[in-house]
Amino acid sequence: MAAILEVTGLHKHFGGIHVTQDVNFSMEEGEQSAIIGPNGAGKSTFMNLLTGYYRCDAGKVVFEGQDITNRPPHWVARRGISRAFQISSIFSKMTVAENVRSAVHAQMRHSFSIFGVASRIGVEETGRVLSLCGLEGKRDLVAGELAQGDKKRLELAIALAGKPRLLFLDEPTAGMSIEEARSTMELVDRLNRELQLTVLFTEHDMGIVFNHARKLTLMHRGEIVVQGTPEEVRANEIAQKVYLGEHHP
Amino acid sequence: MDIAPYALQLFSGLSRAMVLFLLSAGLSLIFGVMNILNFAHATLWLVSGYVTYSMFTFLSQQFGASPWMLLPSIVGAVALMSLLGFALERFLIRHTYARELPEQLLLTFALVLILGDAIKLIWGVENRRINLGVKPIEMMDTLVNPYQFVIIGAGVAVAVGLWYFLHRTRFGKIVRAAVFSRSMVSALGIPIPLIYSGVFALGVGLAAFAGGVFLPLLPMSLGVDHDIIVQCFAVVVIGGFGSMLGTFVASIIVGVVYSFSILFWPDGALAMIFLILIVVLIWRPWGLFGTELRY
Amino acid sequence: MKSAAPQRAANAPGRRFAVVLLALFLLVPLLPGEFWTVVGTEILILGLLAMSFNLLYGYMGQISFGHAAFFGLGAYATAMLFTALKSPDGSIGVPEFLLSLLVGPPVAAVGALIVGFFCVRLTGIYFAMLSLAFGELLFYIVFSWYSFTKGDDGIQGLLPPHYFQDPGNYYYLTLAIVVVALLVMWRITESPFGYIMRTLRDNQRRAAFLGINVRLHMLANFVIAGAFAGLAGALWGPFSRSVSPGLLGWQESGIAVFMTLIGGAGVFIGPIVGSVIYTMLQAVVKMYTVYWPLTIGTIILLIVLFVPGGVLGLVEKQIKARQGRLSDGGGARAGSDEE
Repeated sequence: MAAILEVTGLHKHFGGIHVTQDVNFSMEEGEQSAIIGPNGAGKSTFMNLLTGYYRCDAGKVVFEGQDITNRPPHWVARRGISRAFQISSIFSKMTVAENVRSAVHAQMRHSFSIFGVASRIGVEETGRVLSLCGLEGKRDLVAGELAQGDKKRLELAIALAGKPRLLFLDEPTAGMSIEEARSTMELVDRLNRELQLTVLFTEHDMGIVFNHARKLTLMHRGEIVVQGTPEEVRANEIAQKVYLGEHHP
Repeated sequence: MDIAPYALQLFSGLSRAMVLFLLSAGLSLIFGVMNILNFAHATLWLVSGYVTYSMFTFLSQQFGASPWMLLPSIVGAVALMSLLGFALERFLIRHTYARELPEQLLLTFALVLILGDAIKLIWGVENRRINLGVKPIEMMDTLVNPYQFVIIGAGVAVAVGLWYFLHRTRFGKIVRAAVFSRSMVSALGIPIPLIYSGVFALGVGLAAFAGGVFLPLLPMSLGVDHDIIVQCFAVVVIGGFGSMLGTFVASIIVGVVYSFSILFWPDGALAMIFLILIVVLIWRPWGLFGTELRY
Repeated sequence: MKSAAPQRAANAPGRRFAVVLLALFLLVPLLPGEFWTVVGTEILILGLLAMSFNLLYGYMGQISFGHAAFFGLGAYATAMLFTALKSPDGSIGVPEFLLSLLVGPPVAAVGALIVGFFCVRLTGIYFAMLSLAFGELLFYIVFSWYSFTKGDDGIQGLLPPHYFQDPGNYYYLTLAIVVVALLVMWRITESPFGYIMRTLRDNQRRAAFLGINVRLHMLANFVIAGAFAGLAGALWGPFSRSVSPGLLGWQESGIAVFMTLIGGAGVFIGPIVGSVIYTMLQAVVKMYTVYWPLTIGTIILLIVLFVPGGVLGLVEKQIKARQGRLSDGGGARAGSDEE
């Protein structure tokens, strides 16, 4: 399989602190993998660099053969990279359906259509995404008033509405109940399996990581410490020292 | 080259800068701590000018006219206005902390209208000023009102005092901490509401001081507050929200540029200030001395 | 489930209210005397200005303190063309008059394009300050460029064609133009673009990660809002027979802000309802007292403290509460309990 994402020699520093150091990373199409690491390891920074939210100081990011280094977020998003945030980042005064519908419109390049009727465009796709994420029953609720777990699901729905080919999920199950977390991760698995969606997620819960990622990358102080299958990472000595030790004392 | 007119403009520019600084320092503190942009700040300054005027007139009638009567008048006005500021925060402003920016602006703007008319009701529509009877002195081939040096001196003294207060006293340090992080201050177990009222009262007190001190130089008249407040906004933005040093430097820039522009483009002196404001906002939205993080 | 039905139900009272409002507006010139007709014209023109302001505030989430600059630009553009086209005896033909009205919006739009180019780089308080600074700069340019704008004197003698000198006729012309403008605005706010604006209001960063070029979309909306403000300005000159620099100033922008917040920024016709309340109140209060600022200041104070969301926001809340009681449930809490 071909590499969908190819990152080489990525560097980023804020002031004197190196938050990302010489990161080389790649993903194959259809892969589902996770980045793990202690708080402040540089996981979120890494995602922000890949999606153009931060500028890289050095290095190169190639997506589907196209150089996307330091392109603005909206440009990167249009190439087919979507992301969901750790702290749910939704349109809180709009209804659930409107949230997803506008994301669909953006994907359909309808964002500049000023005389079309919003409620009649992209209806099917909106409904599909809502039912995929189990939100049809809540479509007319105001997003900001949803329960925490529902907000996270809406967050995922918005990310999916962009019909991405590569999806970044930053702690997709944070703040969810065990039951909600399980069904969310099952959905992610299904998307990966059925739609060949390439998924990269960060997660603190090691149970979820080992059950749902086929490849792991451990970051520590902005550097990649070890990469490999869950078994390889689990067996790695440095990994146990810097991170896994915290969780399995 | 004849430098006389320039020297004159420089001194009037610097004294203007001091007034702008006294107002903007309070504005900036209040914004820094409570995130409230107080539209009524210059109106409170104007009210204080009228209050000082009334006190001065009263004292002069009671104890005989003397320029020194200005001192107790200013002290009285500052005390009174600080109390008013304290009360305003406690009974009105406080209810808008959880609201959105425009609603907060609207509330303080309502105060502009109400206080403006209150002045009209109490003092009428005539301008008020105090004549201290100070003789102009000759300097650099021109006559300068020596009172301008009093204002410049007072402004610098307050700036130093404010710096000392913010960096060397306990309450001042708490205020600075509150600008930086509100949760940290509440974690210290200090009652936030008291800090808020205190900072608001302090800000209004500084404005009141400026109003009193400036009275012998510039007559108080209805509507000047509208002009002054937008200039103060310009100062605060140019200097950078929350930075006292920035506010001081920006006050001098705005005050001096204004006075020199009057020489070349009398109608457009304020336009020059807005031009500077535009350039700063485009080039460094967080201001000359602000930190980018806050933006 | 009950897919789009509740939304349609929520829209129905709004639509009914708009129809009633239009009917009332149509009847205004039938009142005895010209007073209310003149006030009505002012309500419509300033209402249109406030509506255009709300495209930025209510839909895009940015507050502009310089919005009246585009109102003033439109007014001056119309006034200048008007003056150039009118015959030496001061009269102007209907086609020339209408042509001079038409020039307001594009000129304002060009102004908005230039100002907006810089403003959309900022948000929140910085957006407000930059728009204020640009508005004031334009004010001083108009104020001091005497040879071109007649400075403080303003441009006088904008007497519309004979037929439109009748306040009733000018009123109906204004009403027709404003209604068409509002219908166009309604389409825009209900379009995909309109909803993209709401996403920018709620969460710009998120919108960017959906592929939205945030600045470009904000700029487009800024220009649209500027054009509608320019249309309102175009109508103003012939209505008041003159234009002056004050039309561009921040106090004028403030009026648009007041109206919007009084009426309710969250409801489409909120600003125009705000204009009805503000302008009528002003007309009445000024008959009895010179203390209009005190009156409106107190009203604004009370609205901010006790009626956040404006008058229509309050009405909408009441309607929703009643619907909620009728359909029993559908609230966020009831929804999450199902899980």
